[in-house]
Order: sequence, then C-alpha cells, then structure tokens
Amino acid sequence: MGAYLVIFAAGFAGSFHCIGMCGGFACALGRDPHGQGATLQRHLLYNLGRLSTYCFLGALAGALGQVICTSQGMTIPLLSSPLDTGQRILAIIAGLLMVAMALQFFGLLPGWHRVSTGFASSALVMSLRSLLTAQGYGAPLAFGVFNGFLPCPLVYAFAAQAASTAGALPGFFTMASFGLGTFPAMLLMGGVGYTLAPAWRQRGVWLAGSCILLLGLITLGRGLLPIAAHVADSWHGGHAI
Amino acid sequence: MTAADDTLCRHCLLPVGRRAMRRTVNGESCAFCCYGCCIANQVQSGNRYEWDAAWLLVRLGVGGFLSMNVMMFSLLIYTDPFAGVDADMLPWIHLLLWLFATPAVVILGGPFLRETWTHATQGRLTASALIVLGVGAAYTYSVFATIERSPQVYFDTACMVLMLFTVGYYLDAVGRARAARDLQPLLAAESELATVVDGDAEQCRPVREVRAGMLVRVRPGERIPVDGVIVEGASHTDEAVITGESRQIAKGLGSPVVAGSINLDGPLLIRSSGAGTATRWAQICRSTREALLRRSPSQRLADGIVGAFVPLILLLGLGTAIYWAQHLPFDRALLTGLAVLVVACPCAVGLAAPMATSLGIGQLARRGCLVRDPVALEALARTRVLAFDKTGTLTSGNARVVGIDSEGVDTNEVLTRAAGLERHSEHGLAHAIAVAAAARGLEPVPTRDVRTVPGRGICGSAEGQPVAAGSGAFMRDLGWLLPPALAEQGRSREASGHSVVYVGWGGRVHAVLSLDDTPLQEARATVEALRYRGLRVMLLTGDLPAAAQRIAAAVAIETEDIRAGLAPEAKSMALDRQQAYGIVAMVGDGLNDGPALARADVGIAVGSATDLARETAALVLPAGGLWMLPWAVDVARAVRMTILTNLMWAFGYNCIAVTLAMLGWLQPVLAAAIMAGSSIIVVLNSLRLERLPDPVPSAAPDQSAAVESAPTTHTCSLPIIAGQAIP
Repeated sequence: MGAYLVIFAAGFAGSFHCIGMCGGFACALGRDPHGQGATLQRHLLYNLGRLSTYCFLGALAGALGQVICTSQGMTIPLLSSPLDTGQRILAIIAGLLMVAMALQFFGLLPGWHRVSTGFASSALVMSLRSLLTAQGYGAPLAFGVFNGFLPCPLVYAFAAQAASTAGALPGFFTMASFGLGTFPAMLLMGGVGYTLAPAWRQRGVWLAGSCILLLGLITLGRGLLPIAAHVADSWHGGHAI
Repeated sequence: MTAADDTLCRHCLLPVGRRAMRRTVNGESCAFCCYGCCIANQVQSGNRYEWDAAWLLVRLGVGGFLSMNVMMFSLLIYTDPFAGVDADMLPWIHLLLWLFATPAVVILGGPFLRETWTHATQGRLTASALIVLGVGAAYTYSVFATIERSPQVYFDTACMVLMLFTVGYYLDAVGRARAARDLQPLLAAESELATVVDGDAEQCRPVREVRAGMLVRVRPGERIPVDGVIVEGASHTDEAVITGESRQIAKGLGSPVVAGSINLDGPLLIRSSGAGTATRWAQICRSTREALLRRSPSQRLADGIVGAFVPLILLLGLGTAIYWAQHLPFDRALLTGLAVLVVACPCAVGLAAPMATSLGIGQLARRGCLVRDPVALEALARTRVLAFDKTGTLTSGNARVVGIDSEGVDTNEVLTRAAGLERHSEHGLAHAIAVAAAARGLEPVPTRDVRTVPGRGICGSAEGQPVAAGSGAFMRDLGWLLPPALAEQGRSREASGHSVVYVGWGGRVHAVLSLDDTPLQEARATVEALRYRGLRVMLLTGDLPAAAQRIAAAVAIETEDIRAGLAPEAKSMALDRQQAYGIVAMVGDGLNDGPALARADVGIAVGSATDLARETAALVLPAGGLWMLPWAVDVARAVRMTILTNLMWAFGYNCIAVTLAMLGWLQPVLAAAIMAGSSIIVVLNSLRLERLPDPVPSAAPDQSAAVESAPTTHTCSLPIIAGQAIP
C-alpha cells in the first residue's frame, strides 16, 4: 500500500511538471457555457480519459512484465514469494530507467529529454486542438485518451515501474495511483485556470524527481539486494490481491 | 477505367484507382485511396472549427477509451486475479465487457462496414471485408458466449483488431503524407495563388489567371509563380527546379526570374512576361501529375494480385476454421480462422510500387527532370546500353574556332579581317568567327561592298584591298593564290571532320580557320560516371567518323562503341541491334533525334520538354542538365530496388504470416498488430528514397556558366587550342 501512496505523491508532485504541457490543454479545455457543473463534468471526463489510458498502459506493462517473468520458467510470481531472476532483471532495468528519468527532472541528463519527448509528433498535438473546442461530452473524453498517449517522462517512468511489478493488476494499480495523483493539479488547472508561480512549479518538479528517484532506487534495490526483496514485499504485499 | 482512375488521393497523392473513398472535407469533395488517408487528412487538414474533423477524432478517442477498458479487463481476466477469486463474478464481467465492446465495435467498425458494403454493391471484395467478417465473427460468438455464460469471450479481440487496424491505417497514411509533402508544390503550380498588384490594390489570384505584363509581388520564402523581370527589389533565388542545381543566384533590378524558383531573402515585384500557364514550371507540374497517374505494368499485376487475394484469404480462413473445428473446441477454431483473416495484408502488396514510384518521380521533378511515366523509370533502372547523340548533346552544338593556320601573317590580323567580313553574314560559321574575334578583344576591320555567294563564301573590300572568306573552291573561283602548305593543312583538317574556312586578301589566301563543335565540359565526367554505374556508353552520329572519333576520345567513349555517318533511320536501326543486349536508352537533344528517341526503350531528351508531350522522350533533363543523368539513373535504380524489396517483403510476409496463422500459432490480436505493422514497414522502406543524395554538380564545375553564356567558354579555351594549331 505504501508504494502506491508514494506513487500517488509522485504523481501529485509530478503533475506540476505536467502543467507546462497538459496544464495548457486543461486550461484550453475551458469552461462550459452551461455552468460550473458542466465545466466540472467536462474536466472529469478529460481526466477520466487520461486515467483510463494510464491504467491501460499500466496493465499492459504489468502483463508484459509477467510474460517476461513467466517465460523464465517460473510459475506466476506472486509478490509475496521471493523474487526470481527474471523479475530481478526487470526490476533493475525499470529502476535504472526511473533513476534516469529522475535525474532528467533535476536537469542532470539533458540528452535524455530529447529521447523521452522526441516522439512527440507536433502534427498530432496540433490536430488534437480541434477537440478542445468541440462541444459535447465525447470530445473531452477522447482528448483525454489521446493526451494519455502523449510522450511524457513521468508516464514512462511509472510504466517501467508497472512492468517491474510483473502482474497486470499491480501494474494497473501503479498507473492508476499515478493517474489519480495527477488529478488534483489538473482539475485545479482546468477549473481555476491560474498558473502557478514558476518557483513553485520548480519545487514541484524537484519533489516529483525525488519521489521518482526514491522509487527508482527501491525498484533497483529489489533487483539487486536480497534483503530488500522483503522490504518490497511488505510494500506491495498487502495489496497484491 | 472509371472516373476514379484519373484522380490522385487528396492525402498521399497516390492514384486512388478503384479503392476510392469519397468524403467531404472543409466543404470540398475529396477522393482518398484508403481509410487511413481519409482519417489522416481530416485530422490534419480538416478545419479546426469544422465539426467533421473533430467528430472523427472524438469517435476514435471514445472508441479507444472503450477498447482500452475492454482490453484492460480482459487482461486482468487472462493474467490473474478474477480466475481464482470467484467464478460467479465472471459472467458479470463478461456483461460489462459486452457493454463496453458494443459501442466500440459500432464506432470503430462502422467505416469498415460501410466500405465493405459500398464495394460489395460494386461486386468487389476488399481488405475491409476480411476485417468486417473477422471482427463480426468474434463479436457474435462472444455475445452468444456471454448469454450462455460460457467461460471465454473474445470482445477484446474484436475491439483490439479494429483499434489496431485503425491506428495502423492512420500511421500508414501519415507516412505517405510525408512523401506527398514534397510533391504537393509540384502539383499545385497552376492553382497556386499569386499576389497581383494592380495600382494600389493587391489581390490574390490563381496563377492560371496571370497574363503577360501583370505585376506580381513575391515575398521572401515564396515560390515565384510566373516568368518575368524584376521591376522592384533585389534578392537571391534558388532555381533548382528548373536547372537542377541548388544554389543561390543574385537577382537585382531588371534580372529575369523563372517561375518555380524560390525567392530566398528579399521582397520582389515582378513584371510577368507570359501567361502563368505557359511557364516551364507549370509544364513540369502538369507532366508530374500525369506521370503520377499512370500505372506501370508491374503495378497492374500487383493490383490484380490484391484483387484475387481477398477471396483466397476468405477461403483459407474458412478452411482453417473448419479444419481446426474437428480437433479443437469451436471457439479456438474460430479464433484461428479469424487470425488468418486479419493477418493477411493486401495493402502492403498494393502499396509496394506506387509510393516508391511517386517518391522517385517527385525527387526527379524537384530538380527539373521530368519523367513521362513509371514505366520509363523502371526501364531506366534496367538500362544496359546508353547511346548518345553527338551534336547538341555531348557537344555544345555551336561551332567554335579551334585552330588558325596562317602563313606569314599574325593570327589576330586574320581574325580581324575575317570578322569584319563575317559579321555581315548570318551563317553559323560566320557567327563563330565573329565570336572568336570578340573573345580576343579584336576590333573587326570595317568592310564594304560585301557580297555573299551561297554555299561558298563571302567577299568584300577593306582598307582598299579585296577580302574573302570561304571554301577552297571559292578561292579557286576568285583565282587567288592558295599556298600548298595551307591547302595541305586545310585538307587534313577537313579529313578529321573540321569545318574549314580559308581567309585571304589582296589576291592571296593567308590562313585557314578550322571550326568544330566542342564537347561540353561536363560530358567526360558524365560518361565516366555512367560507365562507373556499369552502363555501356555509345555514340551515334550522322557526322564523319573522324569527327565522331575526336569527340569520343574527348569524352572517353571507346572506339568500338562509335557508330558514325548514320542517317536518322540508320540510328534507329543501330538502336534495334543493341536491343538484343538489353534495354537501350538514347540521349539526344530532342530536336533532331525524335525518331531515334522514340525508338529507344528509354528516350532521354536534354532541355526539350516538348518531347515529353509528343511522347518521343520518356525522360527530359533540364537544359544543360546532362550532368544529372548519372543521378537520374541512381534514382531510377533506387526506386526499382525499393519496389523489389517492398514486394519481396509483402509477399514473404503474407506467405509466412498466413501459414503461421493457419497452423494456429498466431493470436488474432498479435496478427492484427503484425498486419498493421507490415504496411508501415513498406511505407518506411519507401520513405528511405527521400534521403537519396542530391545530384553533385562538381562533375561539371562551370557548367551553368557554360550554358547560360556560351561565349565565355571561347575565351578560356580558344587561345590554348589556337596556339597549338599555329605552326
């Protein structure tokens, strides 16, 4: 359970990073002429779309991790059992990825920024804008779904984390907690439409970086240290099923 | 041929053929070649405030939302938790999946169903029929399974297959649009807008409405829409599309500009010198459009295969399902048959050639090289023998004074007197002599009482003396003394194919001028580059063997590859003989070699674009663009190579994938993913053609100068040659 709380916190802190890009979208989504309630509904739909994409990615990554681990010849690894080699390797890779993402948040790996956001096709972003102004409830939902697929280092980091859990359900929960963590800030952005002072945004980014670094190191540790496995088990264990 | 056959897809600019889909975008009726292009075009260029474009995205997004949920729950069912917990919950989850899947299938599958229906009413089966059938089977089975509370449903398969196909088509179309991006300006020449200045008013009008004398404003970065002269402003232009060579050319007040060139850095006001539709640029665009619309025989074959492909796959899928139904539970057998249906990808086969061809044609057109049709490109790639015409192709086509043999007088004096006479004549050789004198900075001697004897020579009087220039017979007629040494020089020069002009004054011949056509500067490098590409280079000419020999030596053509003294019909016959050894291309200037160009497998004309319309030439290089020929061969070969690898991939992929699917080794979702990937691979492989190197003008360092101002070449080479010749 604790792990999910940390992920939620990372999502919350990290969402201040998102404000740069996704926050702009949320602002642009704007208010509904039919009043406060309709506006809220619009933004909830947008965030629901985003969340469902994240959850899908999480479950997919988790299932993928599981496939990798089971193909190692082990039975489906429950998180309460000792970790097998496949899961360890996965954890190391995921941990390294997360650490790299965290360092990028601190501005220490400038080259990584291009790698992690290079796939952004501006054409798609441009064309998505037509959704922002469209009326109806389908548009914000659809926009949220596409938004979830836009390249973002945060999403990559947590997708890696989800894969390392080696299970569709924990993967799903990982991304779901991350997605829920981003809810408050994004709703705030959409509803209030105010921009945070840059200093605060910077602090948010640092906080998010720290959370990801922490998670990354724990994940890495799960792969490397025999003792840490028990720590990790106790983190996830209560919630595995 | 239906009306749809002669339009290009609005999005990717490939011929739409019989696959046409029609939609209204931004209030305009557009034809698309496939569903992917249809989506991508509406998404990318649909009006931002247009309901259609947004609606399409909304549908895709909502469809994605629903399918992702279906997939997620299915994933959870497959992998772990629900299986063990309690089986009672399973039917409810199935019901939930059904709830999600039904709108998803309707939203995402609608366009496929509509396409299938439209084609079915026309009596055709297309790839969309495979999808509709496969997805329909999976969905219907799952509905029954849900009602009967059976443990397995395949809503996820139905949704994911639709999603993957939609995304695959979309990505495919985006890739193809990248290829079309380069072609777009080439096709829009006449419908492009020009800013016409009329008094104080400026208005945008289509180029085809621009007439001679109109003032047109061109801002930096814009393409110059019409031929004309600059009346205001100064800038640099890039004329790559006309001359083939990409470089900055400074333009100032009064400089002529050509349509199609890019105005690089300064605003210009141009007085149009002709109708907007009469420019070479407009012609390039017209012929490119025509070339894109034509299909090569291999393309027709591929289309035929695609046509037969779908029924075959339907049969195979059905057979597979029936076969496995005897060995496996019904749902497993159904799934195997479904995998066969969705893994087969006729799109990759259909796309193998046209995209590579249009990229190749576009690459060439951007450098001013026009291709008549894809067949010509294919033939050029397979060409083994390349026959050159001599005059005007390998040579400049203008005579030049290459030697002055004089006796007892200064060569400059010979030239001043000859030029004084010859400037009264219109003859080609006369012009060459006047140019040679001017090149040395000599002032022609004023000559009076000039009289021309047609076919013989010219005479007059200067500085109180009679002067004459002409053939040896003309000198004999005048009864002037011809020193034996000079007569001998003249004879030997004539024997080696030169034109000879005797010059005399005061009753005596003083000098012999030898004139000859000289090879273009880039000719040697071009011939060598072609040889390097494994082509046999020949020379076909109507001139004397000696003249042919000399030019051949200068441009490095082997002696045994020279055919001299050929009448026009004999040229065609010589080409016929070579055709026994493989595909033969003929390069000519297009003016004199029409029949030979038409007779060759690939007629290549240099500088004469009208031949394309007359169908004598299949490839037209820009004037002075001989140096681009090796590059054109490279492009043609790269296109052919790409088509071959595409076809190999498409067929190999289909054989292997369908076999695997029939053996039951492929999950339908995986099959759909692989299928979506396969045509993207074809697109990506074709897109490599975009990165072909540009033609290298270094082979001919000064070629553009040589073409634009012929006299400059005389200044540099005359003194050397003349100096050698003077005894």
